[in-house]
Amino acid sequence: MTHTLNELVTAEVAATIADGDLVFVGVGTNGRAFTLAVGIPLAALRLAQLTHAPSASVYWGNLLEPDLSTFPANLRQDSLTRWPAAASPVDVGYKCDMLMRRGFDVSFDSGAQIDAFGNLNITAIGDYETPRVRLVGCLAQPEHFAFVRRPIVMMDLSRRSFVEKVDFVTSVGHARDGRTREEWGLGAGGPQRVVTDKAIFDFETPDRRMRLRSLHPGVEVAEVLDSMSLTPVIPDHVPRTAAPDAHQLALIRETIDPNRILLKV
Amino acid sequence: MKKKLATLEEALEPIRSGCTLAIGGSLLRRQPNAAMRALIRRGIGDLTVLTWANTTAIDLLSAAGAVRRWEGIYAGMFSLGLAPNFRRGVESGRIEVRDFSETAMVARLRAAGQGLPSLPIKTLFGSDIALKNPEQIREYACPISGERLLAVAAAKADFTIIHGYVGDEFGNVQWPIVRDSDDVDQMMAAAAERLIVTVEKIIPHDAVKRRPALTYIPGFQVEAIVEVPYGAHPSAVDGFYDEDEAHLADYLASSGTEAGARAYLRDFVHGAPTHEDYLAKVGGLAALAALDVAREEGGR
Repeated sequence: MTHTLNELVTAEVAATIADGDLVFVGVGTNGRAFTLAVGIPLAALRLAQLTHAPSASVYWGNLLEPDLSTFPANLRQDSLTRWPAAASPVDVGYKCDMLMRRGFDVSFDSGAQIDAFGNLNITAIGDYETPRVRLVGCLAQPEHFAFVRRPIVMMDLSRRSFVEKVDFVTSVGHARDGRTREEWGLGAGGPQRVVTDKAIFDFETPDRRMRLRSLHPGVEVAEVLDSMSLTPVIPDHVPRTAAPDAHQLALIRETIDPNRILLKV
Repeated sequence: MKKKLATLEEALEPIRSGCTLAIGGSLLRRQPNAAMRALIRRGIGDLTVLTWANTTAIDLLSAAGAVRRWEGIYAGMFSLGLAPNFRRGVESGRIEVRDFSETAMVARLRAAGQGLPSLPIKTLFGSDIALKNPEQIREYACPISGERLLAVAAAKADFTIIHGYVGDEFGNVQWPIVRDSDDVDQMMAAAAERLIVTVEKIIPHDAVKRRPALTYIPGFQVEAIVEVPYGAHPSAVDGFYDEDEAHLADYLASSGTEAGARAYLRDFVHGAPTHEDYLAKVGGLAALAALDVAREEGGR
């Protein structure tokens, strides 16, 4: 049984979610960015809940434990307003406090740039004061990297995005300018996986540099390196990203995303 | 209780060029766009603008060249991409920016609401957000525990403008039963020095008294309250109407260039001297009704 790239990635991400985890997923964006930031994360969470992690739960936007059994094709404000959920905390300060108290196990993040040590940029390309491209700012992404136990970065591979050093460090990864995150004053955390359309990366190296963890089926190391401006650590043996099995695919196609909304693009 | 009911012009009259303005709402919800258009028509400029996650309000002000500086967690157009006029302003150096993460901005608002000059966070160690903003974010050792912390400056604004749901003549503003709580408007109201609120509908004070727990902005905090139906258009008011995707698409298409943005302002801001004129221009109440969503009982 063949699978799509999105299904492969969904299964891979689901495997990282443990029973009892509280996962944060953001709201919004569109097209491919929606798939990366919302679609795959929600599908992966559902897959984890239905297979190995029945007690995993999600904080989505400002909804705690939203009902994810159905999803509208066109997500507009009223769909979100009316979404069934266990709780809609009084304001977003509640979530901010939870973040600083390290209440979340997993978050999903993406950006315009990520560098060799997992620092992320969603603020500005070029000079901060007169940038070549002004991006959106920062939202709670610095919090995800500072306080969440296992952030997962979802980004398609490109030379423009995977750079040796980002232009602006919005969110602190594992090290920067020769100092570890702990030396900067942060606790444990930082991105645990970088999930892309060609490969999976992690930072489990002695100096915390990005490492190639697995290759997607049909992709070779040379193609991955050609798609990056930074050179990750390449282990002697690089395994293949595990393909979803028939049961997982059936769950994704029939139960989780039957109308192909979450994994559309 | 003092009566706070005003016209939009009366409510906004004290706002002057060069002031610091906090703007409520979040993403494509409850942007106080009618108030923004009124300020633009008056030629107010040189503003320092403080926001949470902002979209149409900051971009309209930027299109008019009214913003000197922005401080907030996000400025973009949500599912529609980047905020074109704001972005152009920053990229050209006309708009100065200071970014804050969510916990930083929450601390800033709470500090202002508590009358404190700053409050601590632990978030931004090693981030360029802090390193490039030493005047507002500074590291120190907690005098009690010795722990390293970052103090963030209180978010003080001369004026605060929030678009709410319903309110009474005394300025008590209420939530509907079902709403999208992904915002910080209540916090921003508590932090305000001079708070101006526009609402979809003025309701009787007796209705407010029947559900005091829904009052998220009590009247004593409010300087003026104005009934402005569809006051957030083209953004949504959760529980009242959805965002106007067609108008937003046209706005973004126009704003691809500076000349296009000026043409948009000519048509929809300067060419519509009152909010009623604007509503007529965007299709009238019959067309806007297509954006309405089913309303829940309570709060109106």
